Amino acid sequence: MTAEPPAPTLPEVRLKDLRPSVSPVELVARIVSFDRREVTRRSDGSRRPLLSGLLSDGTATVRFTWWDPPREGIERGTVLRAVGAEVGEFRGRPEVTFSWRTRLAPAATAELPRVDPEEIPLRTMKELAPPDDGFRVEVRVLRIAGRTVTVGEERRVVHEGLIADRTGTISLSSWSDFGLTAGEAVRVTGGYVRSFRGRRQLVLDERASVVRIDGSDLPDPAELLRAPPRSVAKVEDDGGGEAVAVEGVVVGLLPPSGLVYRCPVCQRSVRSGICRVHGQVEGQPDLRARIVLDDGTGALTVNAGRADTERLWGVTLEEARRRLRDQPDPSLIEEQILENLFGRRLRVRGVGTKDDFGVTIAPESIEPVEVDLDASAEELAARLGEVR
Amino acid sequence: MALREPAWRVTARELESSLEEEKGEGDRAASYLLSPFGARMNRVLIAGTLSVAEPLGRDESQPFWRSRFTDSTGAVAVTAGTFQPRAMSQLRSSTAPRPALVVGKVHLYRGRDSVGYVSVRAESIRFVAENEERAALADIVRQTLDRLDLLERIEKDPATQEEALVADGVPRAWVRAARESLRRYPNVDRLAFRRELRNAVRRVAGDSGPAASRGPPPPTVTVTRAPPPKAPAPAPSAAERAEESVFLDQLDEIADVSVDGYADLKELIARVASRGLVADRAEALLNRLEEEGVVEEPIVGKLRRA
Repeated sequence: MTAEPPAPTLPEVRLKDLRPSVSPVELVARIVSFDRREVTRRSDGSRRPLLSGLLSDGTATVRFTWWDPPREGIERGTVLRAVGAEVGEFRGRPEVTFSWRTRLAPAATAELPRVDPEEIPLRTMKELAPPDDGFRVEVRVLRIAGRTVTVGEERRVVHEGLIADRTGTISLSSWSDFGLTAGEAVRVTGGYVRSFRGRRQLVLDERASVVRIDGSDLPDPAELLRAPPRSVAKVEDDGGGEAVAVEGVVVGLLPPSGLVYRCPVCQRSVRSGICRVHGQVEGQPDLRARIVLDDGTGALTVNAGRADTERLWGVTLEEARRRLRDQPDPSLIEEQILENLFGRRLRVRGVGTKDDFGVTIAPESIEPVEVDLDASAEELAARLGEVR
Repeated sequence: MALREPAWRVTARELESSLEEEKGEGDRAASYLLSPFGARMNRVLIAGTLSVAEPLGRDESQPFWRSRFTDSTGAVAVTAGTFQPRAMSQLRSSTAPRPALVVGKVHLYRGRDSVGYVSVRAESIRFVAENEERAALADIVRQTLDRLDLLERIEKDPATQEEALVADGVPRAWVRAARESLRRYPNVDRLAFRRELRNAVRRVAGDSGPAASRGPPPPTVTVTRAPPPKAPAPAPSAAERAEESVFLDQLDEIADVSVDGYADLKELIARVASRGLVADRAEALLNRLEEEGVVEEPIVGKLRRA
């Protein structure tokens, strides 16, 4: 490093070098996301507009607050030069405030600091934790698929998938199309980590950059997606995981299991004909089983959907509804499912998330396990062999 | 954080050998039964044969059923009451001994002579085909051997770090259970227990079920199920003999008219009290009769002639 000429002194600081201080700073950054709000002054009850969101310059992402912003001309992706911005701190991370003392002007993308990927620290999947940013990762794309979502009024495509290195696997959510394909190895900079439904997720958008790499030291996707089952205790210890495999015995069902009714709009379950979000709706019947799977080291919940429930139980939704007409007691359906499933040995793969009630798996596959009795007896006899 | 208690895979012999309890503290705390072989059980999964159940108690609004559960290593009682409606209806419906899987909570009952009896209060029962029972038994024996290996590893090197064991795939709860087992049962013959597990392995291999087997193996596990014998009591006096006959007469009278054939302890105490035998004396007398094997109390508060 000493051999390099000193970098030309720029008036602006890079976001990764931002520290809370009393003296205002100058910075150039892109608006990644923002919301407009109004706060009510306590003194006179007047309302004061503000705009808050995330700023990024490729080196880091920080939250910002802009008091009395202009009514127009601000969009996602707008690059700004701010002179006299104040740097505070919120929950241990720097945060920028633009006040009446700050001079703001649009800037060109070229004015953003040039970032050499090598100077951004490399992180492993194991190390990543929300709300990390300003890092680079080298990962294998295990799977990726586009999905259309509605954000506010806007229809957007989000590319969702799984990425992994030797230390672990986390989910990926990209709001920009980098042409990612399953199996390829990439270096990613400019992403950030958030927690989504209890899962760690690497989020990418336009400001992120993706470069294909050789990746010979990255794990094989098949190896990760077909990994042998682990003990429930281990899965609990790891706090779940993106590609979890366990094997255990069905010891119970949790409510709601059996015949449920869902909102036709949002698929949420409907109670007394009322959806939490959409109010009075005509509930659509559905079949589900929240299976308690136990392997002797721990127990977890497997949320089996209609297809898995029908296959394991051997009864279709239509047949279940017919039974309900004959015996109008919904709890009987749950009883019958449990009677059928209790004690059965299952191998489950899927996404495991952990909360206060333990680990829940959203299954990708649920397969009954056949035990080879002769092989088991032989193995156990061999283990007991030394006993006389 | 109240995680669901795992169902420990255990044999009947391990349950029979378990005498140490760990009472939970605080609100809704779970209590545990510690086995000499590294299990710290609240809930268990057992696989074996359930005999035809019998109803207990005479309060018809509070039915309670009990069945004898046997596997190739031993036997324990499996019970279910109104709080386990599904398991109870399964027990009631059974008309012949059949292979079954049982998941339930363990209970240690200490009689007034402080002999411990372990039973399983069933949460779920499923009568299964024989090969399903054998598959579950294979799982039970495998995990039992894993726990025995762990005990030996910790005994050999007590300084073994938990993290080292966890890195080898040992569940944290097992490490804790193993250490506690070693502390509470310092002199247990684990080799004898391993020998007994061979019967279970034979069963996995397809040997005839425990119902048809040569009967349970001799209890070679050196866990004392009864307190050490006391010095013989002095021969009862004539007055004591008289009290005894009053007591037994009343017991028989109550038992004769009761639905379940047992004499209710409270009723008995009340009756003998009206014949001049105060409660303290009656209790002492009952203790002596139980020790002598004249009377037994298979259910708390229910007596019968031994």
